[in-house]
Amino acid sequence: MSGREQNVEPAELAPAAKAELDRAFEDFYRAHLRDVYSYAYYRIGNHHDAEDLTEQAFLQAYRHFDRARRESDGRPLRPWVIRIAHNLASNYYRDRSRRPQTPLENADPIATRHDTEAIAEGREELRQVIEHLDQLPEDRREALIMRFALGMDNREIARAMGRSDGATKVLIHRAIKQLQEEMEDDGAE
Amino acid sequence: MTEPSERLTGTWDVEALLSDALRPIEPPERLSSRVEDTLAAVTQAAAEELSDWADELSEAELRALRDPRNWVRPVVAVGAGGVATGALVLLELRRRSRQQSQSGLRALTSGLRSRL
Repeated sequence: MSGREQNVEPAELAPAAKAELDRAFEDFYRAHLRDVYSYAYYRIGNHHDAEDLTEQAFLQAYRHFDRARRESDGRPLRPWVIRIAHNLASNYYRDRSRRPQTPLENADPIATRHDTEAIAEGREELRQVIEHLDQLPEDRREALIMRFALGMDNREIARAMGRSDGATKVLIHRAIKQLQEEMEDDGAE
Repeated sequence: MTEPSERLTGTWDVEALLSDALRPIEPPERLSSRVEDTLAAVTQAAAEELSDWADELSEAELRALRDPRNWVRPVVAVGAGGVATGALVLLELRRRSRQQSQSGLRALTSGLRSRL
């Protein structure tokens, strides 16, 4: 293994290097907490598990943060941490064989600052779009969450999902098209 | 009146709806302190584990020294050193005895000459 690929656990670093790493991670954590939490919430569907997933994502990120910084070559690390959250969310469903147990609009509003439920209650079309979003294939749903909840561009989404830019563009286009068709079908009934 | 997300043609502006529906969610304030506490605990635990690991290593080294199976190499080394030293001593003794026998012959020769 080359030195570039080696992962050094933060606790193994020299005190000064560890202090610098901790400061950098704190900045990184504060900058991305909302993104990771939003992603987790929209993937999982309830605040409790979203908090657990967010915590796990940052713990994993902390362990590999030093190496991620070295290998990022100055590129943003947001796709990397969202990818960690994505893998954890996939495991969440795979290991426990479960789908979101509570629809987003009925989720327990623990976070009083989150007003998506309130908006959805007031507007039927928002409730519909969330309902249809929930029925999309996982990769399409995920790409739309990254695009609209996190405001990620195609390149960032591609990096987070481990796909090419072109494939991601097609994925998002098809996801929106499918959502539109299903909502129109719903409206026609 | 038509909703902004609904086009005049009757089709949905799904992108506008998604932007409205999927707003970023502010994490609960307790989550920040929870993650920070967990990270601090993990860091502390990792540091202690490293320290224990270092202690265990010296214990292991001591145990290895006490293990008779690890004594073979030093014993062989000492034996080889002893044989080499013995060989050197023998060679030196032989060299000295040769010198002594030569000086004895010379003394005999000179004694015979004086008698004659």
